[in-house]
Amino acid sequence: MSPRAAWRLESLGFGDVYDYVAGKLDWMAAGLPTEGTNAQRPRAADVARKDVPLCGLKERLGDVRDRVRAQGWDAAVVVNEDRVVLGLLRTAELEKDPAQLIEQAMRPGPSTFRPFVSIHEMGHFMVEHKLENAPITTSDGRLVGLLLKQDVVSQPADVS
Amino acid sequence: MPKQIDRDEVRRLLDGGAQLAEVLPSPEYEEDHLPGALHLPLRHVEERAADLLERSRQIVVYCWDAA
Amino acid sequence: MSEPAASTMEKCSSCDMPIELCACCDEPNCGAAICYRCLNLALGQAMPEPHDHGG
Repeated sequence: MSPRAAWRLESLGFGDVYDYVAGKLDWMAAGLPTEGTNAQRPRAADVARKDVPLCGLKERLGDVRDRVRAQGWDAAVVVNEDRVVLGLLRTAELEKDPAQLIEQAMRPGPSTFRPFVSIHEMGHFMVEHKLENAPITTSDGRLVGLLLKQDVVSQPADVS
Repeated sequence: MPKQIDRDEVRRLLDGGAQLAEVLPSPEYEEDHLPGALHLPLRHVEERAADLLERSRQIVVYCWDAA
Repeated sequence: MSEPAASTMEKCSSCDMPIELCACCDEPNCGAAICYRCLNLALGQAMPEPHDHGG
């Protein structure tokens, strides 16, 4: 739609017209704020835990597990130096051989979700699929935080 | 010919005072729109553009995605 | 390693397409398996094609 609108505006005599081709989805997927009725409802990025433990591919699982548990967590996200999500360590992965490297032990390429997804929708899927946690990432794969099912289900019910 | 821009360029233009308009219909605009975006549905561009937009300023338009 | 035959794979609970893993929980044999396309549509991470407003 936007290309047609941009061309039409030019034909109407508006001289300096730009088309943001990637659009609203791109903006929201980057975690940028919006206005409107949906903006009032909690979204994944609002509730996701930003302080989730992080680790790298070449670390030793035992070291990471000790650090994760000392922080009171039972999950960690594997990221590179650009904070791009490479894998996930949930309880099952943390229980593996501590001598393994993270890249061997981790759950690679986990499903991730966008910052703007509503908590109401996330809750539905997390309960239905027994998903204890889910990484929230921007469209370029960078970690926003880890969304915990316990935080999602404790949110007030959507009154829409 | 309208220039195609990315997100960084959008932010740069907005910082420079460009006008921003969403061309999706209701209710998409009311549900979520970029901060400060005006509502200029594609079907009503001819009727509303002159009232909503200043010809002397840069204009950025957008919809949902590139599909 | 050969891929599982489509006939033995789970089906998306929304569109019935054979899938190897649930796109939501990354697990096989998920009782409510869903494919990536249907998941993205359900979560509003994509718009259905064709858009009802012309896209």
